[in-house]
Amino acid sequence: MDTNAILGPVATLALWSMIMWVWMYATRIPAMSRAKIDAKNLVGTTGRGLDEVLPAEVQWKAHNYNHLMEQPTIFYAVALALAVGGLGGGLNTQIAWAYVALRIVHSLIQVTVNRVLWRFAVFALASLALLALCIHAFMGFVLH
Amino acid sequence: MPESLLAPGAVLALWTLIMLGWVAATRFSAMSKAGVDLKAAPPGGRGADLENILPPLINWKSHNYTHLLEQPTLFYAVLIFLHLSGGSTDLTRGLAWAYVVLRIVHSLYQATVNRVPVRFAIFALATFCLVALALLAVIATLG
Repeated sequence: MDTNAILGPVATLALWSMIMWVWMYATRIPAMSRAKIDAKNLVGTTGRGLDEVLPAEVQWKAHNYNHLMEQPTIFYAVALALAVGGLGGGLNTQIAWAYVALRIVHSLIQVTVNRVLWRFAVFALASLALLALCIHAFMGFVLH
Repeated sequence: MPESLLAPGAVLALWTLIMLGWVAATRFSAMSKAGVDLKAAPPGGRGADLENILPPLINWKSHNYTHLLEQPTLFYAVLIFLHLSGGSTDLTRGLAWAYVVLRIVHSLYQATVNRVPVRFAIFALATFCLVALALLAVIATLG
């Protein structure tokens, strides 16, 4: 069994995060110029301040990019721990692919229709997948 | 004590999801008390929008979950550096377990009493452990 197979979904979610980063700027920069924001003269502001200025659909891309920097950091940590601890193959790899697929669906919902209930359902499913990985890491490294 | 330096990391990751469970367990009943209907929520709503709607005691759980996705990400990275570069020693394992215990105490405190000076003291102690681990990781990876 390839115990490094879990690095496939890890790399995929990292790349997806960068795709969302591109999507965020591809919509944000034109929206900023439409809103007559002169970025050259901005001092000390953060992206969050744009929530009041740009259309919601534009900011949803940024919201999702930010979310990808939240819970997935636990996913990366656990997946790397499983890989270097020799547990990154088989079922754990399949669960990791499920997590990544659900997070990509979560991104697509959040940046388009963004219905809270749908988004929550997909987030909850992804969290359960991550919980399974965490329990496997706990069993493998703490109880073992 | 488990031999692997990965063990404290696995515990803190699991703890993070336990806090997420605590958020869910308290938030939904508070939302229905506040008359917030998830099915009728306007598109794009986020957890942070509940800040001025739900009682602080409910939001404190969520604040802590968010904090667990901040500094501990450095902790995981440092653990993996140490693990891969032969830096797993009694000292680093002890510091890593201390960090995890302090972060769990920090969570319990923030989710319940949440007096800032006390929370800060726990956070500062945990940070000292992380600083020591980060230094040891630099030594282990360069050496």
